[in-house]
Amino acid sequence: MKSKPIIMEHFFTVHTSFVLDFNFTSNITILTGDSGTGKTASFSFIKECMALNPDIMCLNYLDYQKDIADIIKKAKGKLIVIDNADVLLDDDVRKYIALDDKNQYLIIGRNPKNLFTTKDNLFELASEVQGEQTILRIKSYL
Amino acid sequence: MITIFKNKRDIPQNMEYVELNDIYFNQNTALKLDEKAEKIIETIDGAKLISKFKMRSKFNDIVLDVDKLSSGCKTVLNVLYNPEKVFCLKECGNNALEILFGFQAGNVYSEYALIPFEMDAVSVQTSSEKKEIYDYEELKEWWSYEE
Repeated sequence: MKSKPIIMEHFFTVHTSFVLDFNFTSNITILTGDSGTGKTASFSFIKECMALNPDIMCLNYLDYQKDIADIIKKAKGKLIVIDNADVLLDDDVRKYIALDDKNQYLIIGRNPKNLFTTKDNLFELASEVQGEQTILRIKSYL
Repeated sequence: MITIFKNKRDIPQNMEYVELNDIYFNQNTALKLDEKAEKIIETIDGAKLISKFKMRSKFNDIVLDVDKLSSGCKTVLNVLYNPEKVFCLKECGNNALEILFGFQAGNVYSEYALIPFEMDAVSVQTSSEKKEIYDYEELKEWWSYEE
């Protein structure tokens, strides 16, 4: 499903030797791929930005006991970044996300069920070393 | 070979099911790591185990605590060091699945199919039967079939 990102088209941050340079082309971006490519590391760098950027909300396994549906339904105008999505999101939350026109999503996981997504939504990380820094970008998965 | 469950109710009551692999690894499996973990960590995460709790990351050679391993790698190590428990399979990438499906023992659960491109043999278990499957397509069909 191709729908323009409604909160941000570009996310950039630096965390010591890491640079995140993400261009979003859809309102729902599913970040998938092999284990150990830096997905959760990227999540931690984005989460750090939450302290300064009120447009970012991050959820991961530490929120397992919380009411994820309630948190997401109360959010407005956020880039909602969800790590460990395959254990955090049930079918009802996935359907809500698919139709949510108030927020944008970066979902780190492998199961696209009920998100009504297509290959336009599937991305993986690409890393490039520049000097002493590693640049992490997202690229189309398929 | 590993045993796969596709329904939580099929997991025997005397077997503990672990859904959050990250936490279980950090609190339990990390304490058990030995030389068996070295090759797995290197193959899946490209990191080198340099002491019991430290590894050198493939990114910039940074030294990190093993809590920074990927969830997929943690899942594989959880299964390896705790073959009496059942672990959620859902956070394994294909590179982690390829190693996991080659284990001699261990138990995993997912309600949907997660199969590496290359596989040999696995055991599948429901409440009514336990059998061995040697073929990708047959395993996919078993996983898709609702009992």
